[in-house]
Amino acid sequence: MALRMWASKSATFLKISSFSRPFATVVKDLKYADSHEWAKVEGSSATVGITDHAQDHLGDVVYVELPEVGTDVTQGNSFGAVESVKATSDINSPVSGKVVEVNEELNDSPALVNSSPYEKGWIIKVQLSNNDEVKSLMDSDSYSKFCDEEDAKH
Amino acid sequence: MITNPSFVIHPPQISSRKSTPSIHFSNFNSSQAIPIAYDSKRRCDVFDMHNELVPYAKAWTWQKSIVEERKKLVDKNEDLCDSVIILQHPSVYTLGIGSSEDHLKGIKNFYRTDRGGEVTYHGPGQLVMYPILNLRYHTMDLHWYLRALEEVVIRVLSSCFTIKAARHEGLTGVWFGDQKVAAIGVRASKWITHHGVSVNVTADLTPFDRIVPCGIQDRQVGSIKELLRQPLSFEECGKLHFTDDQLVNATYESLMKEFSEVFQVQLCMKPRPYYTENNISRLTV
Repeated sequence: MALRMWASKSATFLKISSFSRPFATVVKDLKYADSHEWAKVEGSSATVGITDHAQDHLGDVVYVELPEVGTDVTQGNSFGAVESVKATSDINSPVSGKVVEVNEELNDSPALVNSSPYEKGWIIKVQLSNNDEVKSLMDSDSYSKFCDEEDAKH
Repeated sequence: MITNPSFVIHPPQISSRKSTPSIHFSNFNSSQAIPIAYDSKRRCDVFDMHNELVPYAKAWTWQKSIVEERKKLVDKNEDLCDSVIILQHPSVYTLGIGSSEDHLKGIKNFYRTDRGGEVTYHGPGQLVMYPILNLRYHTMDLHWYLRALEEVVIRVLSSCFTIKAARHEGLTGVWFGDQKVAAIGVRASKWITHHGVSVNVTADLTPFDRIVPCGIQDRQVGSIKELLRQPLSFEECGKLHFTDDQLVNATYESLMKEFSEVFQVQLCMKPRPYYTENNISRLTV
């Protein structure tokens, strides 16, 4: 954490990307939104979380605000939030549908989002209302390129 | 009693206390905060209610309405200019999304909000600033944003009151020794911020004794007024040569100046909104 803060301060001073690692991991076969959430689509349902790029920029996640099971979610709209360092950020759903399960483990271990963003740090599972929407998401290669471009600008 | 006919506050120099930590004054360089899309400064509307007590719920509803309006535009790659609201609240306790109610120590009347950070108190004599910025036009980094808010307050304390405040690594906020003078808690939705920073100017600090402020045990809360009083001699009896109103006004003016500098925005004063018990609507210009 101290190294990340030093890197962030130095990077700001030197006007370079504040990324403390040369690259964030992406997982093939997942779909990605430009707000840095991922979706693992399996038939008519999807598991959703935030990407490695997102968790790295956030820093240590200290709290995850989860929706209620049964809530409707809409692609591009917020369904919850993550908190780190006195700042909360919305999590936007990459898909539309109904929340059928939430990762209760995040209540006790929010840091799973940092340590395992694509697996144990999953956030919600959604019963999709519109499978076609998934086509508007990025694949892993496009998402990696998107992250590089976004980091280069800042 | 006015000591200076030009109404500029020149308080006694704060003497260093033995327990003063190493001063990490500032290595934040605001010239790095260059707006992404504009060569000239980005406009920021100012809603100045710094001498008013605005109910917490109304201010929060108002912020959310501005944020929602802007999020719709952001989805279309458009946006309005930034905004900043500055006001005071009547006495209220608030919690962040993950705050533990244990830190309330039994208090029942409070707001559970959607900001980050733990429990805090707002009340008269405390200036609260709510910047609603689109960080896409600043720096898309919440850590940067928090440091920038701290920078604003550190500069205010220095330039207006010659108080050398500091950051404490890992404890967001602005400190003098072990006293926290400004608390921060924010929310970002599609990179549009709301909530913000509260600065204790002349506020009565005893309501903080009823909570564990920001969840941090073994630290204290301070105010600009108390910091100015501390080094005064026995003969002066801790009596400052300016009124609470003057302190609040001076802090407000300095906050606006430093905010515009740190965030490189051009401030544009707007009429205060008209609100009733049931709704808030903004005057259109």
